[in-house]
Amino acid sequence: MANKLREWIEDRTGLNNFLKIALDEPVHGGAKWSYVFGSGLVFLFILQAVTGIVMAGFYSPSSTSAWGSVYYLQEKTSFGWFIRGLHHFGSSAMIILAVVHMFQVFIFGAYKKPRELNWISGVILLLFLLGFGLTGYLLPWDQKGYWATQVATNIIETIPVIGNYIKILTQGGSDYGNFTLTRFYSIHVFLLPLSLLFFLFIHIALFRKHGVTPYWKMKEEILHNRVDPFWPDQMFKDIVFAIGMYAILAGWVFWNKGAELLAPADPASNFLARPEWYFLSLFQLLKYCQGKFLIVGTVIIPTLAMIFLFVLPFIDRNVSRYPSKRVPVFCAVFSGLVGVVALTAVAIIHDSHDVHIQHQKEDSEKQAARAMKLAAKGVPPAGGMFIFLADPVRLGEKIFKESCNGCHMLRGEGGETASDFTNFGAREWVSELLKNPKDAKYFKESGAMPPVKLPDESLLDMAEFLLSQSGNLLNMNTDRLERGKELVLKGNCVICHPFGDKEAKKVAPNLTGYLSETWLKEFIKNPADLKFYGARNKMPAFEGKFTDRELDALIQYLFTLSKDRILISRKEECGKRLTTTSCGQQKPRRENVHLV
Amino acid sequence: MENIENSRRKFLKIASHALGGTLAAGIAVPLVGLAIHPWMRETVYGTEDFIHIGKMDDFPIGIPKKMTVTSSKMDAWNIFEGLVMGSVWVVRRGDNSLNVFSTNCPHLGCGIDWGADVNQFLCPCHGGVFDVNGKKISGPAPRDLYSFGTKVENNNVFVSYKRAI
Repeated sequence: MANKLREWIEDRTGLNNFLKIALDEPVHGGAKWSYVFGSGLVFLFILQAVTGIVMAGFYSPSSTSAWGSVYYLQEKTSFGWFIRGLHHFGSSAMIILAVVHMFQVFIFGAYKKPRELNWISGVILLLFLLGFGLTGYLLPWDQKGYWATQVATNIIETIPVIGNYIKILTQGGSDYGNFTLTRFYSIHVFLLPLSLLFFLFIHIALFRKHGVTPYWKMKEEILHNRVDPFWPDQMFKDIVFAIGMYAILAGWVFWNKGAELLAPADPASNFLARPEWYFLSLFQLLKYCQGKFLIVGTVIIPTLAMIFLFVLPFIDRNVSRYPSKRVPVFCAVFSGLVGVVALTAVAIIHDSHDVHIQHQKEDSEKQAARAMKLAAKGVPPAGGMFIFLADPVRLGEKIFKESCNGCHMLRGEGGETASDFTNFGAREWVSELLKNPKDAKYFKESGAMPPVKLPDESLLDMAEFLLSQSGNLLNMNTDRLERGKELVLKGNCVICHPFGDKEAKKVAPNLTGYLSETWLKEFIKNPADLKFYGARNKMPAFEGKFTDRELDALIQYLFTLSKDRILISRKEECGKRLTTTSCGQQKPRRENVHLV
Repeated sequence: MENIENSRRKFLKIASHALGGTLAAGIAVPLVGLAIHPWMRETVYGTEDFIHIGKMDDFPIGIPKKMTVTSSKMDAWNIFEGLVMGSVWVVRRGDNSLNVFSTNCPHLGCGIDWGADVNQFLCPCHGGVFDVNGKKISGPAPRDLYSFGTKVENNNVFVSYKRAI
C-alpha cells in the first residue's frame, strides 16, 4: 500500500529524482566537521521560523494589546515561555553562528574567485539577521524593547537629508504607536523572512555550484579522489551539530527561565535603554561620537565596515588561500573583531559598575514582577500600562518621587534635608533612630531628642513595641514586645512623648499608633500639629494637597520600603495571622512589593 | 574496503534517522503543546459564576421585574468589565424564593414581555403565553420558560447566568 502510494506520487512528481539531486551532492575531499556551520544556520533559521509561526498565533501587534498578548503567551500557556525563550535566545545563537561561519569562510579563503558572490550574499544574509533582531526586540512592547528601539529609530534620523523621512516611514508616523508595531511586525514576519529565503536560495545554489572549500593544506589528489556523498556522510555531522546546538539552546532557556518580559512600555518614563548584546558595540561607539561627530558613529563607521565586508573578495585577490600569504587582510579583519569585542566589553563593564544603572535594573525587574502579578487579573482593553492605574503601590511610588523624594533620600537618591527613608519603618530604622537621633540619616542637627543609651538589643525591643502599634508589623516577637513596652512606658520616653491617648500633646510627637496607617496620614497632613512636631516642624503640610486615594497609595508605598511591614491590602487577605504563620513569614522585601 | 564503506554509510543513515527524529520530536513536542493551548484551557469566559443582580428588597412579591445582567469577561489577556450579558425576569415568591427566567421565548427566542393586566408572560412574536411561574399556558413554544439558578447571600441576589435550565 505504502509502496503503491509512493509510486503514485513518484509518477506524478518525480520526487525521488529531486531528493537525489538535493542529497547526493558530492563533497570533494570528504565530509568535514568544519562544514557544519552553514547547515547549522539553516537549522536555526527553521527553528526560528516554526517557533515564530506558533507564537504569531498568540501575538497581537498593537500598542494596546502587544504586551498583554506576550504576557499571556509567557505566563498563561503551557510551553509559551519555552518557545518564546527558544526564539529569543535562538536569535542570539544565529548571530554567533553566523559570525563563526563567516570567520570559517574567511580563514579558509572561501570567498576567493569564483566564490565572490557566495560571500556577498552571505553578508546580505547577516544584515537580514541584524534586521530580525532589531525589529523583533520591539514587538513585546515592554520597557526594554520600546526604549532600546527608540535609539535605533533615532539613529536612522541622523542619516543626512533622507533620515527623517525614512524614520517616519519605518515607525509609521512621527512618534511610536500602533503603526510602529504593525510595521515592525510585517517587516519581521513577512518582508525579512521572504527576503532571507530568497538570498538563502541564491547562497545555497552558488555553494552547490562551486562546492566546498577545503582546508588550505589539503592536497589536490585527495580533493579529487576522496568524494563523500552529502547524504549521509556530511548530513550525519550536520544533524549531530544541530542536536548539540538545540540541547545548549534549550538548556540556556531553562537556565534563564525563558526570555525576559519587562513591564509594559511607558512613554512617560525615562527608562535607560540598552540594546540587545550584539548591538552593544555600536551603542558604545556612539558614546565616543558626540555632537556633530555623531554621524561618524551612527552612519559612517558602520557603513565603511559593511563596504569593507562587501568588497573583501576583491581586495584579497591573491590566489593562495594560505593565511601566511594573506597577512594584511587577516590583520584588518581581526582588528575589526577585536574592536567590536572591546567596545562590547567596555559597554558591559561600564554598566555593571554604574550604581545608578544597577538600581534601575533592580527597579525594572521589580516593576516587571509587579506587572505580572497585576496582569494575572486581566489587562484592561486600554493597554498594558493601565494595569498600574489601579495599583496603589505604583501610584504611591510616583507621589513619593514627586512630593517627598526632594527632601527624603531613598536608597542613595534624593534630597538630604529630611530623614533618609531607605528601609523606612523597619525595626533597624527605628532602633537606629533611638540610638542617635542627630545622625545624618535622621534629624541631623535639628534633632532635639537625646540618644537612648541602651544596648542595641534593648533598642530593638523598643522598636518592636513601638512598631507593634501599627498593626502591620511582620513576624512580631512577643517577648521582645513585652520587654520593649516596659522600657518605653516605664522609661524616660513618656516624659516628652504622649502615649495611649491619640490626641494628647506634649513637647515631642505623640507616639500612639506610631507609624500606623492613621498616624502617618495625620502626620503627613499636618506635621506641625501640636501632637506632632509643633513649632519645631520643618516639613510642609500636605493637607488638601493629596486626595484620599493618593494619600492611601502613598502610605501603601511607604510600607513597601521595609521588609518588616506588610501592605494593608495584603493584611486583609491574611486576616489576623500576622504573628503566627503562613502570611509573609518567608517573604523577603522584594517579594513583599509584589503582593497586593 | 567497499564493504566497510557501505556498512559505515548504512550505519550513518540509521543513526541520522534516529538522531534527526529525536531532534524533530524534541522541537515538535513543545510547539504542539503550545499550539493546542485553546484545547487545554478556556480562553474566553465570564469571570463570575454567580452574577449580582440586586438586593432582595428590590423585588416586590409576585410581580416580575426585568433586570440587566452585567459581568466581566476575560478574553485571553484582556478583561472587559461591566459588559451587558443580557437580561432576566426575576419573580420573588411569597416564601421569598426566587424564580429567574430567561427573557427569550423558548420557541424562537423573541423577547418576552410581562403583561401586568393579565398577569402573564406574553411573547409578541407568535403569541406564546406563560404564567408567573414560567409554565407554558398556550402558544407554539415547546416548553416552559428557561430559568437560571439563583443564590441569596446577605440579602444580595446572584444569578448563575451561564446555563439556562
